[in-house]
Amino acid sequence: MTTFLIRRFIAMVATLFAVSVTIFLMVRLMTGDIISIIFFGDEAATDEQKNLVRKQLGIDGSYYHQYTHWAGRILFHGDFGNSFQSGQPIAPILGHAIHITAELIVLGILIALLFAIPLGVISAVKRDSAADYGARLTGLIGISIPGFWLATLLIIFTSRVFNWLPPLLYVSITSDPWKNFTQFIFPALSISVFTLAIVMRMLRATMLEVLNLDYVRTARAKGVPRRTVLIKHALRNALIPVVTVAGFEVGYLIAGAAIVETIFNLPGVGYNLLHAISQRDYPLIEATTLLIAAVFVVVNTLVDLVYGMLDPRISVAD
Amino acid sequence: MSTLTETWKAVPRRRFLVVPAKWRNPIGIAGAIIVAFVILTALIGNLIWTNDPNNSNADRLLGPSWAHPFGTDEIGRDTLARIIHGAQVSLQVGATATAIALIAGTCLGMLAGYYKGLVDQLVSRVIDLVFAFPGLVLAIVIAGLLGPTRRNAMIAIGIIITAPFARVVRAAVLEVMGFPFIESSRALGASDMRVIFRHVLPNITAPIIVLTSVYFSQAILSEATLSYLGLGIQPPEAAWGNMLATARQYVGTSIWMSIFPGAAIMIIVLGFNFLGDGLRDVLDPRVGGVTDAVTKK
Repeated sequence: MTTFLIRRFIAMVATLFAVSVTIFLMVRLMTGDIISIIFFGDEAATDEQKNLVRKQLGIDGSYYHQYTHWAGRILFHGDFGNSFQSGQPIAPILGHAIHITAELIVLGILIALLFAIPLGVISAVKRDSAADYGARLTGLIGISIPGFWLATLLIIFTSRVFNWLPPLLYVSITSDPWKNFTQFIFPALSISVFTLAIVMRMLRATMLEVLNLDYVRTARAKGVPRRTVLIKHALRNALIPVVTVAGFEVGYLIAGAAIVETIFNLPGVGYNLLHAISQRDYPLIEATTLLIAAVFVVVNTLVDLVYGMLDPRISVAD
Repeated sequence: MSTLTETWKAVPRRRFLVVPAKWRNPIGIAGAIIVAFVILTALIGNLIWTNDPNNSNADRLLGPSWAHPFGTDEIGRDTLARIIHGAQVSLQVGATATAIALIAGTCLGMLAGYYKGLVDQLVSRVIDLVFAFPGLVLAIVIAGLLGPTRRNAMIAIGIIITAPFARVVRAAVLEVMGFPFIESSRALGASDMRVIFRHVLPNITAPIIVLTSVYFSQAILSEATLSYLGLGIQPPEAAWGNMLATARQYVGTSIWMSIFPGAAIMIIVLGFNFLGDGLRDVLDPRVGGVTDAVTKK
């Protein structure tokens, strides 16, 4: 077990290293000459000015030197450099942004599970009934509907029917919890639908499998009430793979969050990434992408470990 | 005489097109019909509905009417004509990105699964690297860094869907390689190329077809998202994503602008997902559904 944990940890660190190198190289190789883009049309720019900008951007010297400098500052000082556009240090911006994105994702996952679990169970138990077809259709629509369109539809719906629009400026959860909730519920709903559909479909499939197993029949034959068998025996086991899927979904929710954050004007991590891309703010692009990928990698590793612990049939030592 | 007639009646008439029972899959057929409809719209839609998608020859922000069934946009262009053009764009970008993934993913997966060892290690690590990013985020960053054009959107989407292709093909090849007919073919002196093209490839077509359908839907959804974020197809050219982005400013006055392009995206994605589910049931019960393919587990 310990060797397994150590191995997984080393693999995770190696992935993080590879990810950081990839982001570093993408920003340098895919953009063409950053300096000529920045100074485009500025004939008066001297080499001195250009070199100063190179230094500010951390793109002076060899790639090896640039990378160790960049990664070293992040690792040892938690310093992501300065935003090129505003000149502000990036770390506090990200610290603020990560709260918003985290709240959005937690809310999104909760909504998804709240609906997906009952729907998946009903769909499996009442197989081929109208409820099952309804749930399955919902599932297929859920994986096909673009989150950003759903967000727009929600805004149209509430503004037409209730004559209400979500607050435009971000309100933190500590200053006004209710206003904060009304602000987050729509973006959370729109990102949760895809996860809801995935989890529902997965749970339906595993429930169907579990319900056919011997121990479920034995429990029923012993006279255990139907509801107890369903919840205590079947659902508990069917949920194991669902936990993994829900865990992996966290990563995809980050991507979904990036888009709805821009629609609902919430300055989260994804909002900053898209803002940085449109402003060609390369240090901020590097930092936000690295943060998102790092969270994704760490969450996936944790989910792998949790899966091994939840299901005794899977030997983690392999 | 009458017995002859009776006998003739009793024998069921031969149908010209006999569909095997396993192909009668309602979800798959529904998907095929939707996909065929959208492809037809893209191919001949502008011959039937001859309005120019780029010509603002009507009043602006009109609701649906007989003259403009889907209304008009903020500068008086016909929304139906723009949606037809958007179908062409979506299918073109989707097809190119999927073709990139199909070719690159199959080659990489094949190399890794066939030669194993160092090649496999190398390919697998590259695949893992792509999987270390949420797909859409990687597409956003690549398209954003390369610059927002149609070609770069195709490249970005192609890259993110190559990884799952390569992974599934690799696993399928590894499975096929375990069968005795590969060993016997090799023992008979077949070259690598012959084994790959005559024995391995025909045995992995089923998962490849299913993947193509499922990831076609992902490619279209990604294109719409990139265009929505301003990183894909640029206005004034019509794409479903950038039409929705423009429509955001008019949600208060003209909700039709937000309804139709989004519905178009949902319908085509739904069609490909249905088709993928149906094809999976028919061709390859081993590969997981859309669920599994999308979540990669």
